[in-house]
This record gives sequence, structure tokens and C-alpha cells, in this order.
Amino acid sequence: MTHLTSAELIDIVEGTLDASPQQHLDTCTECRQQVADLAGVLSEALAVAVPEPSPLFWGQLSQRVRTAIDTEPLAAGGWSRWLRWPVLAPIAALALIVVALAVSLPREVPMESAVANSEAAASTLDDGFAVVADLVGDFDWETAVSAGLIVAPGAADRAVLELTALEQQELTRLLQAELTRAKS
Amino acid sequence: MTHGTAVRIAWAPAVTAGWTVTVVTPDAPDATATGCFGMDDAALVAASIDGRREAFDVIVERHRRTVYQVCYRFVGNHEDASDLSQESFVRAWRGLKTFKGHSTLSTWLYRIAVNVCLNRVSLKTLPTDSIESTDHFEDTRVEGAQAALLRAERAATVRKAIASLPKKQRATLVLRTYHDLSHQQIADILGSSVGATKANFFHALANLKKLLGREP
Repeated sequence: MTHLTSAELIDIVEGTLDASPQQHLDTCTECRQQVADLAGVLSEALAVAVPEPSPLFWGQLSQRVRTAIDTEPLAAGGWSRWLRWPVLAPIAALALIVVALAVSLPREVPMESAVANSEAAASTLDDGFAVVADLVGDFDWETAVSAGLIVAPGAADRAVLELTALEQQELTRLLQAELTRAKS
Repeated sequence: MTHGTAVRIAWAPAVTAGWTVTVVTPDAPDATATGCFGMDDAALVAASIDGRREAFDVIVERHRRTVYQVCYRFVGNHEDASDLSQESFVRAWRGLKTFKGHSTLSTWLYRIAVNVCLNRVSLKTLPTDSIESTDHFEDTRVEGAQAALLRAERAATVRKAIASLPKKQRATLVLRTYHDLSHQQIADILGSSVGATKANFFHALANLKKLLGREP
């Protein structure tokens, strides 16, 4: 015997069944039991109400919604929704992080080019010069002048004189390291 | 702007030492929203899109109870239900321009609330309210306290069982049983067929019976 499908059983429980399932139900104890079980549990579920929250809650909910939507304009449809600051700001931040990582991540340095006291120092130094070299590769004097990047004559000398003894020592070390590398 | 009940508490030394509590009528309309109260849902949506936020306040006020109840049925506790209700309305606000009026506003809000619940429930297992926290508003004077306690306990058990059903079964059960949506409407909301909805409903009831059968 073919029993009733789940959809037919639901139709019977909800009282919207056709004639043919009803004929089967009259003769099938198993299906009748299923219908009774479903109706019983449905009846029990129906008897359970949602607890009424505090009367103050509804006003609070409205207020919370209002506060939440006050911070954002009504979103436009289509691509223009992406032109909102809440969307653009994280993307911009992510882009900055990617650029910063790309600049700061150490690149592979040949062992023979390592100078000074530690390999780490050499790697960092090399990275710094690589970045600077990349940036100024196409830079000529006219471009620098037009961009206002020219320092006043003697400014570097004055800056060196303002360094502390330790800073001057470090500067000397860096310059010597670069000179050594240039010679090799 | 708040449309719900407002309670003002003031010190009244001239009368007697104590507190004067004034309860204002629930759901009293805010002055700025009064002009929108006569509008139907379609007009409210149009006004909201035109930038009249007070129109959206009225939408929230009209549908907040239904949305909250869907969410509560879904998660079985007040705290999450209120968060989900808020999120549902915020999403409705964001998507207002996409509402074309092919379905009623309430069906559209049902869809948003169900989707919000489905997404949230998939992120974490939600706790259900204990009977102490859910049924303390019920009047226990009519029936005996013992009977009321048993009834509350059973209700909490049923809510917990519903909250533990698989997501689509739970959504189908909630929308069909408590909100009287047709199988076609539920199918539209869940993006399935009427047959699948009936099958979900059948399995939801069958699983609920099993879950309740294990409870004392």
C-alpha cells in the first residue's frame, strides 16, 4: 500500500485535502496515526504564545531603529551604493594596509651584499634604498623643483649638526655601509 | 522619537514623601509622525524614500510587533529577538528603494526578518529564555500558581524545541503556525516551492514531536 506523502498529510492536518487521500486515510491506520500525531504537536505549538515584553520595550525598539538609521542615508540602488563612506572607508583602509605591507615586507637580499653588524640591519637598509630608488627612479631635477621638494642650500648640514651623538654615529655607520657596498 | 509607553517619575514633596508615577498612553503618536499615521503602507514607503524619516517611524511602529514575534519564535529569547528586530528594520530601511510593491509590505518585512534570523542563527547557537525570564507577565490569579508554573514550563520547553529545529523547518513552522502565511507566501520568502514548504512543515512537526517526546 502506498502511504500518503508529507504534503498530503499536511493538507489533511490543515483541512485542505482532496477526496482521494481521504479515501486512503479511511483504510490506513498508519497514516491516521501520523495525522493525529501531527495535529497533536501542531495544537501544542499553537498554544505557546510569545511572552509579552515590557510595554516600554516597543518605544525603545523604535528608538533603537531610529538611532541606527540616523547614522546612514537611505541607500540608493545599483552601483552608487558603493560610493558611501561606510563602504569606501574600509576599502581605503585595506588598500593602505596592503600598500604598507608591500613596502615594509623584507625582500630577498643576497648574502654577499650584507654589510654592517647584522643581516637584519642590512636587509632593512637595502629595503629602504630599494623603495627610495623605486620612487625617484623617474624623478629629474625639474620635476623636483616643480613639486617644491627642493631643500634650501645648507639644510642638510644644519640637520646633521642637530643630531645627537648617537644619531651622528648611526648616520656615519649607514653612510660607510653604503660606500662599502658601492665599492663592492 | 519614541512612540511607546512613556513613564515619568517625579519627586513630589508637596503631597507626600514618595514618587509620583505617570503612565502615558501606550503607542502615543509623536507630533512629527502624526501626519503619516493616516497613510497606507505604500504611501509610507514612498514618503520614506522621499526622505521623510517619520514615515519610516510609522512603518516600524506598525510592524514592530510582528517582526519581533517572528524573531522571538525563531531564537526563543528576548535579547536576541530585539537585536534581530532592530537589524531587520535597519535592513528594510537600507533596501527600501528595492521594494517594488509586488508583495505586501508585511510580507516583505517577513522576508527580511526571516533572512536576518537565518543568517544570525547560522553564526551562533542562541540561548533560549528560561521560564523565569519569559512568563512573568502572565496573570496567575485566575488559575492556580502551580498550574501556571507547569504551563509556563511546558511553553518554555516547546519554545526551546522550536528554536532547535533546522533553520528552514523552523522558519516554515513559525510563519505557517504563528503568522498564518500561506505555503505559497512561505515558499516565496524562503525561495523554495510549495511542495518543499509542505515537506519542511511536515518534518518540522515530526521533529518537534520527537523533541517534545524526549522532554518530561
